Amino acid sequence: MLRPEASVIVVSVALIAYFEIANANFLTNDNLQTVSQFVAAPVIIACGEIMLLICREIDLSVGQVFALSPFIMGHAEALGMPVVAAIVAALAACALIGLAIGLITIGLKVPSFITTLGMLFLITGITLTISRGFPANIPGGPFLTGIMGAWGYSEIVWAFLIVAVMHVVLRHTRWGLHTTAIGGNIVAAAEAGIAINRIKIGNFILTSTLGGFTGLLEAFRVGSADPLAGGSGIMFLGVASGVIGGTAIAGGAGTIVGGLVGGIMLGVLQDGFTLQGINAFTFDIIIGVAILVAMVANIHLARLRGGGRG
Amino acid sequence: MSGAAPGVGGEPARAEAIRAENVVKAFGKVTALAGVSLHVARGETLGVLGDNGAGKSTLIKILTGYHRPDAGQVFVDGRPVELASVDDARALGIECVYQDLALVNGLSIYHNMFLNREPLRWGPLRLLDHRAMRRRAAEALAEIGVDVPSVELEVGMLSGGQRQAIAVARAVYSNARILLLDEPLAAMGAREARLIIELIERLRARGDIAIVMIAHNYAQTLEICDRVMLMQHGEVTFESPAATTSAEELLDIVRREYRAIRTR
Repeated sequence: MLRPEASVIVVSVALIAYFEIANANFLTNDNLQTVSQFVAAPVIIACGEIMLLICREIDLSVGQVFALSPFIMGHAEALGMPVVAAIVAALAACALIGLAIGLITIGLKVPSFITTLGMLFLITGITLTISRGFPANIPGGPFLTGIMGAWGYSEIVWAFLIVAVMHVVLRHTRWGLHTTAIGGNIVAAAEAGIAINRIKIGNFILTSTLGGFTGLLEAFRVGSADPLAGGSGIMFLGVASGVIGGTAIAGGAGTIVGGLVGGIMLGVLQDGFTLQGINAFTFDIIIGVAILVAMVANIHLARLRGGGRG
Repeated sequence: MSGAAPGVGGEPARAEAIRAENVVKAFGKVTALAGVSLHVARGETLGVLGDNGAGKSTLIKILTGYHRPDAGQVFVDGRPVELASVDDARALGIECVYQDLALVNGLSIYHNMFLNREPLRWGPLRLLDHRAMRRRAAEALAEIGVDVPSVELEVGMLSGGQRQAIAVARAVYSNARILLLDEPLAAMGAREARLIIELIERLRARGDIAIVMIAHNYAQTLEICDRVMLMQHGEVTFESPAATTSAEELLDIVRREYRAIRTR
């Protein structure tokens, strides 16, 4: 059976070829840096969302965690922490947000769609409160800043690293296999004695932490923290990357590599049309259609594959 | 953790595996089981027949530790046991196979066979040992004569009969010695059913497994089982070796019951 990743790779390569022919500037070092920056953030966020989607959950608030985490780092640094410790503190705070989402969703039996919709507004409020609505400077020397995002390719290197680790987690650990089993047939997973709640909560923690980490990378790249950075836009790009790459919206199936190629396709589209000078309004129409087509294909492929039950 | 216990050939097999005495279970005002007893030996297959609401499922759920009886006692290998949870029952070698609930369709056969019992590769990273799983799953299936093209196939691609066979194979591989089958032939075509009937017969021939099978179809059940038991409104109303009764006799008992209700 044709794997969804394969068709997305074919489409991406065709798009790259088209943009290179239409515009000689596409495969230049400068533009590749730009593409890689378009690609990196959605791909890292997709790594978390894919794990959640596979076990039939979702996190709508990851883009708000993205905006919050640089401010937590800034405040920790202002309190006298070294920058590296401040980064760790920010990630720990993001992990706690993920834990809270997981505990509310599992413990109070609230659908994660609702839990994280509430969190979305709550975290935006927190970010605006602690930033007073203003951007803030990002601390750190040139070396650390370079590693964390200021060097042109550092974000995409992080993205590839995280993709590699998460691919192994999903395909080659009990955690990943059990995540898939939960989404495929939760009764069977429970019968087999799988700790369903622990795995779901763990995946919420993972997603929030990755969202916070992506926010830090972007802040280091830009050189400042913006209370309105990220948001639902980056979250939807992450989810769309996963779904375009074949992650089933109904759970039980998906790959991290699919999220990577889905993110690359979206990034290439975004950058290519920008180079072509296409109007931003038109661009949103094209992206919207691309996502719709990919999702419809995804749902019908899933129906063809699994016999439907699950 | 090895798959095969030594098969006890011939005599003296037939040691009692599980026995229930006067099991009572009520849900509110509804009495699901009004004092039910059963016993099954190793190498024996017991068929439990009865209509919906006769108490078959409640009985199975007590034997698997899902429900606790209000009164009565369960014995495993002659010793009284408290089955407080599914894990308790499993630790005693009691496994139930449900046709539709047991497997994850999106995962391969070998992943399903080892779900939550996955072997890990040696080393600090605790990675799954896919190769060992594939090899051992293929061996375990071959050992009880379940034929699949490849253990890498997704379970969702298989027929109902093949899925049922995989679920039974998994229970046997995980050392089930008292196997409860919930409607193993329901909604199955003749060829599919044949596959499962032959599998059950092979398992009985090993001599170390006691099988309790819940079913609706009298003729099929008489063909497969050594002994049958008829349940009606929470009681055992008839019990006989399969060889000395017939589908007609069983149907007669059920019809008499309905006639009695109508004339009451």
